[in-house]
Amino acid sequence: MRKLNIKDIILDGLTYLFSSVSILILITIFIFIFQRGFSSLNLGLFTSPYWSQNYYGTIPESNRIFESDVNFDKNEFYSEKYGIALKDDFNARNEVIVVISYIHPDSPFNQLINASSGINEGKLIVAEEGMIVNKISYITSNGITRSAGPVLKQNAEETIKTINQSIQLDSAFIQTQGGGIMGSLIATLMLIFISLAISLPIGIMTAIYLNEYAKYGRFTPWIRSSIELLTGVPSIVFGLMGVLVLFPITAIFGANGTSIFLGGLTLSIILLPTIIRTTEESLKVVPDSFREASHSLGANHSQTIFKIIIPAALPGILTATILSIGRIIGESAALIYTMGTYISDKPELLKGATSLAVQIWSIMNGDQPNFGLASAISIIILVIVLGMNIGVKVLTRSKVKQW
Amino acid sequence: MNNLSNEYKKLNIFKTYQDLFFKSLFFVSAVISSLMIIIIILFIAQKGISPFLSNYQYGQQNIASFLTGMVWRQDQAIYGVAFIIINTLISGFASLLVAFPISVLTALFVVKIAPKPIGNLIESAIEILASIPSVVYGVFAVGFIVPFIQNLANLLRIQTAGGSSLLAVILLLSIMILPTITSISITAIKAVDIDLEKASYALGASKTQTNFKIVLNSAKSGIFAGAILGLGRAFGEATAVSMVAGNKMFGPTFNLFDITRTMTSTMLAGLKETTGLDYDIRFSVGLVLMGVILISNLAINFVKNRIGKNHA
Repeated sequence: MRKLNIKDIILDGLTYLFSSVSILILITIFIFIFQRGFSSLNLGLFTSPYWSQNYYGTIPESNRIFESDVNFDKNEFYSEKYGIALKDDFNARNEVIVVISYIHPDSPFNQLINASSGINEGKLIVAEEGMIVNKISYITSNGITRSAGPVLKQNAEETIKTINQSIQLDSAFIQTQGGGIMGSLIATLMLIFISLAISLPIGIMTAIYLNEYAKYGRFTPWIRSSIELLTGVPSIVFGLMGVLVLFPITAIFGANGTSIFLGGLTLSIILLPTIIRTTEESLKVVPDSFREASHSLGANHSQTIFKIIIPAALPGILTATILSIGRIIGESAALIYTMGTYISDKPELLKGATSLAVQIWSIMNGDQPNFGLASAISIIILVIVLGMNIGVKVLTRSKVKQW
Repeated sequence: MNNLSNEYKKLNIFKTYQDLFFKSLFFVSAVISSLMIIIIILFIAQKGISPFLSNYQYGQQNIASFLTGMVWRQDQAIYGVAFIIINTLISGFASLLVAFPISVLTALFVVKIAPKPIGNLIESAIEILASIPSVVYGVFAVGFIVPFIQNLANLLRIQTAGGSSLLAVILLLSIMILPTITSISITAIKAVDIDLEKASYALGASKTQTNFKIVLNSAKSGIFAGAILGLGRAFGEATAVSMVAGNKMFGPTFNLFDITRTMTSTMLAGLKETTGLDYDIRFSVGLVLMGVILISNLAINFVKNRIGKNHA
């Protein structure tokens, strides 16, 4: 038995210590992000816009009782006099707000007239359930106009009580709940669609050329290494490239600045190396006997490729797609240059918008960093990325089983 | 019979043309994919150099004062990139210094020492770390690393700008390049010839001696490739770094607790208009960044070859 060497023990100890670091970091990141973001995470986040819309409207007179057969929760308070129910809630920043939980179909709140000056003055405001009530002005029995609502630190119950004692309502200041990610979600989906639609065909065709046509060609090593070089280019440099090289292409379609289209085009170039490499790996494992069998049955090269090789390589192509989607969701630096940082609630193809990742950057760099919302979006991204990792693992395993 | 053979000929011709068509289509895609890198370099070089040419529309800039300047002030249109290059090199190499030993030893542990389930667990953890987007690392850095450094500085009675500092950048980058270097090192160590190890054991070396002297040395080339990629990522990382760097206007920054400014954080800072000198100069910084990455790659390759000579 050899005597244990002190130096060996120290080196082994170091190895054990250092290899626990990565797990420690991973656990810390997950606990931290979930702890900070979980309270801001709710379903409303996905469907509500980021910017809140303010409405100031006059309330028409009403002289009837709005009976309602709706069963209200304990925390909802209904005013039969005006046909509106309010409840207390929290917004994305965890502040207490008063929210409309029900409006009677004939309620005067359904006929608010916009009173703020501008093009919408005099038009009908559609008050909806879920909107935030800031202030309701009412007229007392001796003709004085007073206000009720959160402006005076009243909660839902107090607000309803106060307006029930009034003779008539005068005006209301309501706003939609902001702080959502709907716009970024749509923009991200558009990005995924555009960039995959461009990148997948070019990437797959390149991989096929490299593996099926020019495996031992004179220029193949050059083509391969120049594609490999793309992986080393920082994503911010891709952003610069997008502005310089790809912007003229989007300008043909009518874009006059940063746009989702430009972001998608830029991403499609970023994705190319991943798609080419992954597809090529899957083409390599298709057995040569498949190709020989197809040729001996009289098929030409293109028939072999489209009917035999691509179907056999499909799991690999799917892996490439999943990896690409993960990259699109996480990409930020290139998109800041090509799509801008203004969070848009109604993303359009030829206008600027933010993806989920850029929305995080945007709200962390704003005047009031909203850490809760940033962490909540981070959780969403982490969950998606994690799910895709598992998906790729499952796919790779099934691919190995095939032959 | 004649008719049938004619049909056959036609089909054959069709198949030949079909092959030709698809071959050219695939070839064109391959050419497009491989040309992208050249297009990127050419266009950014052209735009990056343009502010220093005499016909530049917003007033010609002095290239010497750009490359040697130690002050960067957007508000006064003073653009000196020298200290930013030094800052970027400091933060990049410092994070490599932190991450490299951890990554290599983790890789060694996963492949050679750990029982299989634990090795797989760590490998999965590395894969997940690699797939976390940089903006999420940024949120983590702002919420966790920065307050940690603030507390540390308070403890040591050192002043910081709320924790945003060179140290924060280094720690953040170390975490971000850790998975890159580790996963490539794992591949390299897995590829080491088992006969070499057997020979080492036969000569009476212990397992630890074999691991450190034989395995790591044989996997050296792959491990250094990982270091190069890691360093490239550290230099090019933009969003997360710009969230904790603090953007100092002069430098270079050597104090760990002082704020700093890297090339990428400069390119992202105060990005508002998309015309004018302030916008165009970012392309010059991008060009310098690509040059720095290229030169540091060559430097690491040089180091690798030197180490090879010593041990051969």
